[in-house]
Amino acid sequence: MLHLARVRLLRQSLLLLRSELRQELRDLELVLTSTFFTLVVLGMFYLSFAALEKKHTLPAVPGLLWLTVAFVGTITLTRAFDREREADTLRALLAAPVERLAIYVAKAGSTLLVLLVCCALLVPGLASMFPAGQVFWDMPLETAALVVLGCLGYVAIGTLFAAGLAGGGGKNMLLAVILYPVTTPVLMFALVTTRALLDKNPNLPSYLGQMAALDVILLGVGALLFEPVLVGAAPARSAQAARQHRREALRAAGRQEPR
Amino acid sequence: MKRKSELVVPLLFLAAAPLVVYSVQRVFLHTPNERTMGTAFKIFFFHVPMGWLCMLMAVISGVAAYVQLRRRSRTAAAVALAAAEVGFLGGLGVMLTGPIWGHATWGTPWTGDARQVTTALLWLVIAAYLLLRHFGQHASERLAAALAIFGAVNVPLIYYAVKLWKTTHPTTGVVAKLPPEMWATFWPGLSALLLVSFGLFAIRARQLVLVGELDDAYVRLEDSRA
Repeated sequence: MLHLARVRLLRQSLLLLRSELRQELRDLELVLTSTFFTLVVLGMFYLSFAALEKKHTLPAVPGLLWLTVAFVGTITLTRAFDREREADTLRALLAAPVERLAIYVAKAGSTLLVLLVCCALLVPGLASMFPAGQVFWDMPLETAALVVLGCLGYVAIGTLFAAGLAGGGGKNMLLAVILYPVTTPVLMFALVTTRALLDKNPNLPSYLGQMAALDVILLGVGALLFEPVLVGAAPARSAQAARQHRREALRAAGRQEPR
Repeated sequence: MKRKSELVVPLLFLAAAPLVVYSVQRVFLHTPNERTMGTAFKIFFFHVPMGWLCMLMAVISGVAAYVQLRRRSRTAAAVALAAAEVGFLGGLGVMLTGPIWGHATWGTPWTGDARQVTTALLWLVIAAYLLLRHFGQHASERLAAALAIFGAVNVPLIYYAVKLWKTTHPTTGVVAKLPPEMWATFWPGLSALLLVSFGLFAIRARQLVLVGELDDAYVRLEDSRA
């Protein structure tokens, strides 16, 4: 039974992921805006830090890499769920006969893909702009593993909070406010590992393994909390929300609001 | 007639009042100066209890948030918010007194060691939680609960991450072992702070529950008019 459920979850996740990708391929909105933003940030970093000597770029490059991922991740997640809200499809998705976990997996998967496309520009960009980033060229496999693990951890948390914020009136400024403090551990692990990569530290595989373990924890917590957060965020059920609805209805009817 | 639960807050404050006076005079008049840090060490008696208070309230908030998510309990939501607010104040105290103490003893307000960074980030998560609860839309309470849980999960991770991160930096400063008379000053101060904080926490939690009940009453009134 458990096996069947797993297969079903996987199938549903793939189905939803395919629908996400199809939607994205129609106009490439997320990919185009995110990659353009990545290039702009890269350009700004270049203008700000091009004068640094090599020994100073060594500690700077990991920071530049993961700060950009954090920024790009925020705008990608915001836009991914804005789209759902504008078309009011999140509710349809929740009403569809699919596991909520599959929605989480599909959303996280599509966001991860967009982030990885951005990183495919970002990492070579940093590698060619700053001498310290040369290692990225020398150790492509390790670099790829690092980027995938870092982005995966970020997306695991980000999808949960972006989905939670997408339910109501949409105060997306709040996404960055809550996302950055919560994603600090994964970004910090990524920083440490990137530094180890740039130093050609022999312990790099152990660092990568720790990042993978962290990703598993974050994905687990994200998957566990996704349904309670999202179902609570969809239709208004609390008294406060009911009161707000009532007020709006009263106002629409042109009646005086009682004090 | 007052309910018994309403007596809790006055009792907490009554118990705290003599303790506050006692511990303040003990800290400044009857505790010897620490040998290496001198008078600056007095800040320990304020800094550490506030740090513990912040951690304790973060844990209470995280647990209450979990209950809120699982049981859809409004009381738990109120408790989580009240605990986060008190924890925020405790954390603010820590963030203010810590650099002063560090400046006096290490010569620098910030050394970036694991405990400092972890506390600062925990405080940021609490701040984000409060922002979300106050400015998020009506359904964001559950999202905020997820944030509180994530914040609680994060604490050990951040601590570990910073320790890894610091391996590339030098570490400075170790607090020496304390003699018993210092601890004898420490415990009454900690108790006083905890009593006052729990009093404030109880007031705020009760107030938040009342806000919810008032909302319900408003909706019922509107329903009866319709």
